[in-house]
Parts: sequence; structure tokens; C-alpha cells
Amino acid sequence: MGQFFENLKDTFVLNFIQEDRWKFVTEGIKTTLIVTLCAIVIGVIIGIIVASVRSTYEKNKEEYAKRGGFGVFLLKVVNGICKVYLTVIRGTPMVVQLLIMYYVVFVSAKNGVPVAIAAFGINSGAYVAEIFRGGIMSIDHGQFEAGRSLGLNYFQTMVHIIIPQVIKNVLPALCNEFIALLKETSVCGYIAIQDLTKGIYIIIGRTYSYYMPLLVLAAIYLIMVMLLTWLVGKLERRLRSSER
Amino acid sequence: MSVNTKGLIVTEDLKKYYRNGEIKALDGINIEIDKGEVVVIVGPSGSGKSTFLRSLNLLEIPTSGKIFFEGVDITDPKTDINMHRRKMGMVFQHFNLFPHLSVMGNITLAPIKHKIQSKDEARENALRLLKRVGLLEKAEAYPSQLSGGQRQRIAIVRALAMNPDVMLFDEPTSALDPEMVGEVLEVMKELAHEGMTMAVVTHEMGFAREVATRAIFMDEGRILEQNTPQELFSNPQHPRLKDFLSKVL
Repeated sequence: MGQFFENLKDTFVLNFIQEDRWKFVTEGIKTTLIVTLCAIVIGVIIGIIVASVRSTYEKNKEEYAKRGGFGVFLLKVVNGICKVYLTVIRGTPMVVQLLIMYYVVFVSAKNGVPVAIAAFGINSGAYVAEIFRGGIMSIDHGQFEAGRSLGLNYFQTMVHIIIPQVIKNVLPALCNEFIALLKETSVCGYIAIQDLTKGIYIIIGRTYSYYMPLLVLAAIYLIMVMLLTWLVGKLERRLRSSER
Repeated sequence: MSVNTKGLIVTEDLKKYYRNGEIKALDGINIEIDKGEVVVIVGPSGSGKSTFLRSLNLLEIPTSGKIFFEGVDITDPKTDINMHRRKMGMVFQHFNLFPHLSVMGNITLAPIKHKIQSKDEARENALRLLKRVGLLEKAEAYPSQLSGGQRQRIAIVRALAMNPDVMLFDEPTSALDPEMVGEVLEVMKELAHEGMTMAVVTHEMGFAREVATRAIFMDEGRILEQNTPQELFSNPQHPRLKDFLSKVL
């Protein structure tokens, strides 16, 4: 038994202490968190915009068909673009999108991190958009009507009445998406970014020991996900408490 | 653009068709509602009475016809409907209070966003109105903490906070438990006595008899008969109205 712990200690020292290899881990965590958090922000912004366009168009299709005009035409075009965006992003693998972003779209990029943020943000936006669209559609139409009957315009009604209710309702689904995003950033290594996974891989490459670095890697992701879940849960409880 | 200066609300040959005319929710409504009138609209379900009321502030877009509000044709696409909706309070069957806002937030949202009142003025006005309907102590409560009757009274206050020229009621007591109908009707009666112009879709014949200046019977998207409520209910002419009254009274 003593031998086992002795081995464990040696492996740990070899992988994380010698030559300051723990720095690969801390630096990796930092990069993973930066990419994830920035991508979440971009994703949510894209998501809300795309969801608003899609649900506006869907809700008022009939009226627009009758009214016509340039504004309606524009909305129709933008709605079409949003649909293509959703189809393409959800229909192709994340890694492929990341590679295309790095090697095709931003060929001259020297630093991969902003490219990764853009790629993950755009990817996440598609899923967030559908979550929000579902949320908007699930709000009782009477809420729109009450807002409009008070003379609020469509935009004011969305901002002050619909979106606050939607956010509360979609938070659990949104949390899911954030978790998926955090874990998906582990493919960052494909474009030479030293995120957590890549950092551990570098350690493995130097020490040729597998089990401890990989188990530590899994444990760190698990802890980060638990932390994220806890944070969103806290936010959810705070939003709900205002109603009771 | 034609301008009509006669009534507060005037409709001309108002039509609302669904499925290319297969369903005629409104089939040519001509009506004039003057200032201070309390008009009650009755009719069987599916008669178009709610559609008619909801088209008055364009929650339903009519297929054809005109609606004049304070002399302005609001069906004209160039009219800014939001400006006119401020002057038309609406009360819904299912209250439609905003669940994420307190009672105070519900009442003051529109006046503050429209910059009609400052935050303090809006609050003060809200408290005054809440006192009037006997719900002063609920100012900081949330809709989920209120009974149906209380919610509907708050919804009325929310509409009144915009200081409207007309109040539209779309079956305001139909979703209430029987014992709560009275408190809502009481508020509406008070409003009527104060001279508020009202258009009310309701099944409350007692309310209609007591405060309405005119009662309208609608069926199949048309106005079949209109009269004083006393005459309309006790001396119906149209066979459909007779049939309807025999079922509800």
C-alpha cells in the first residue's frame, strides 16, 4: 500500500512539479476559460439577435405578407440568412468549423485564440438562437398584446416584457449549452492553441506517462463544469426569487 | 386621408376574413361610439365580438374597412398606431399582467417608457389608482401572489395609468371564479359613472342593464340588433337574439 502511494507521488512530481510542468495546466486553464467565456458572450448576443429576427418574422408572417414594403422585404432576407446560418453551423462538426476558420477565413492570423473565440462564439450562437426562439415562442401571446395595447412598440415590448421572461425560462437549457461549449473547447489544440487539453498532451509527450495527466485533465474539466452549473443555478434562483 | 369628426370611435364597413374569406369573423361592421358612452357587446361564442373589440386598437388587423379614433383613420398604414393605443386602454380576459414585474412595475412601465410621467409621478399616480380599487397594500406584490379578481383590478389600473380616452374590456370577468366577479364589475361600474367611454364584451347581463347606455347583439360577424340594454334584453326583435337570450338568461 505504501508502495502504491509512493508511486503516485513520484508520478505526480514527474508530471506536474518537475521543470514547472504545472504551468502547462494553469496556462491551459486560463486559455480554456478565456475562449469559453468570450465565446459564451458572443454566442448569447448572436443567439438573441437571430432568435428575435426569426420569431418576429414567424409571428407576423401573415401581417407582413399583406403589408409588403422594403422593411418587410429586408426582414425576409435577413430571416433567410439566419436560417442558412443555423443549418450550416448545426450541420457541420465543430472541429471542421474551427479548422476552416483558422486555415481558410483568417489565414493571416498569428494568434489562434481570437480565431477560436470567433469560431466557438459563432457555433454556440446557433444553438443559443434556437434555445431563445423556443423561449420566445413559449411566452403567452397575451404578453405581447398587453405590451402593444399599452402603446409600446415591438422593440420595447421585446426588451421590457418578453426577453426578461424568456431569460428566466431558458436558463437551464442555456446552462446545458455553456457546459457543452466549455468541453468542446478541448479541440482547440487542432489550431495550435495551448488550452488545457493541449497542455496536458504536451506534458504526456514529455513524461510518457498517461494515466495521471489524463485523470487530472478529466477532473479539472469536471470541476469547471460543476462550478459553472453552480453559478448558473445561483443566478436562476435569484431571478426566480423576485416572483415569490 | 378621410377625417371623421363625429364619434370618438367610428368604424366603416369593417371586415375581418380568415382563410381568404372562408371564415368571416367580421362581416361589415358600422358603428359609432360617442364620448361618455358605455357600449356592451353580447353574442354567442364565435360571433366576432372579441375580434371586433380587438380590431379597435388593431390587435387584429382588419381585412378591409376603416376605423376612426378621435377623427384619425388608424387603419391607414401611415398612422402611428402606438400613439393612438396609448389613448385606448385594454383589459383582457386573462389579465395578461407581466409576471416578472411587481404590481407597481406593471402599472408604471408604460407611462415611464413613454416619458409621459417621471418615475416619481408615475408611482404617485399608481398609488392613487391602487387606492381607488382598494389594492394599495399590494403595490409591491407580484402577480403570482394575487387572486384572479385582484389581478384583473390591477390590469384595469394598468390601463388607466395611461389616462386613456376609452377603455376596451374583452370579457373581463369570464376567467374569474364567481365570487370574484363582483369586485371587478364594481370597479367598472365606478368608471362608467365617472363618465369613462367604455366598450365591453361581456356575458354579465346585470352589468349591462345597470350601466350600459347601449347594448349591441352580434352574430356571424354582423351587428344584428342594438338598443338600450333594457329594450334589447326585455324586448328582443331579431329571432337570433331571442334564441340567444333564451339560452343565457
